[in-house]
Amino acid sequence: MANTIRLYLTCIRNTLEAAMCLQNFPCQEVERHNKPEVELNTSPGLIMNPVLICRNEAEKCLIETSINSIRISMKVKQADELENILAKKFLRFLSMRAEAFQVLRRKPVQGYDISFLITNYHCEEMHKHKLIDFIVQFMEDIDKEISELKLSVNTRGRLVATEFLKQFI
Amino acid sequence: MEAEEEYLEAEENLEAIITRIEHKSRKIETLLKQSKPVDALKTALEGSALKTRDERCKSANWIVVHRAVMAIKDVDGMISSLDPEYYDILMKYLYRGLATGDRPTCDQCLRIHEKLTEKAGLGCILRSLSDTVNTV
Repeated sequence: MANTIRLYLTCIRNTLEAAMCLQNFPCQEVERHNKPEVELNTSPGLIMNPVLICRNEAEKCLIETSINSIRISMKVKQADELENILAKKFLRFLSMRAEAFQVLRRKPVQGYDISFLITNYHCEEMHKHKLIDFIVQFMEDIDKEISELKLSVNTRGRLVATEFLKQFI
Repeated sequence: MEAEEEYLEAEENLEAIITRIEHKSRKIETLLKQSKPVDALKTALEGSALKTRDERCKSANWIVVHRAVMAIKDVDGMISSLDPEYYDILMKYLYRGLATGDRPTCDQCLRIHEKLTEKAGLGCILRSLSDTVNTV
């Protein structure tokens, strides 16, 4: 089990290292504008083939690259209803604070839980290998966070129930 | 005009391509029965019609390659005995396998992907991302 996640993360890391070759590219249609081409999706010459890396039926990662930007969308593992709700709430909390993360996208791409948008400006300001480390670390930590949240919800529920039912003994 | 001619030429060749794929499939079954998974994979990868745009040909070829890939047990041995000209094609098929979402396929593809990247480098991945002419 631990082996498959290591392989999955290695695959994503290698693909990101190859795909994160971004350069400045001013908008071709509008003067003086500079837009992330992966979001616009207008010119086929500027975008590369999107790549979908699935670990299993539930977890997957979509990597779309273009000349000046890369969009990474992830779907995290959600085993039951509770994890579903926790994941949604937690990732929405993060997405709403996307300004602080800089590389996070405010809304995830349709069909995924969370999306990152990395542009050439980010690559200029920050180290490329550090950005990739961040993304891969994020993927590892997300699973741990959600398991911890689930554990704490269950513990709290149990404590509350015990206290409440004590009055009936 | 030229596009029409190419289209007609492609139409004729489609049947030829599909027959060739069926031939390959039979050859691969015999090779797998003889426990030669590496040869089976080589047969599956060579002669892949990458320039065609027809979905049926691509799916048919993918099924054949998928069969050969799932039969591989020794990944290191396979990669070292594979000719470098097949690295790019294999990488493209690996990404197609990873997109399926089926657990055993993804496990196998992830295993081969790691070893293939070590051998072929990041350039192989980049070529599979950027190549729009030869698609899988």
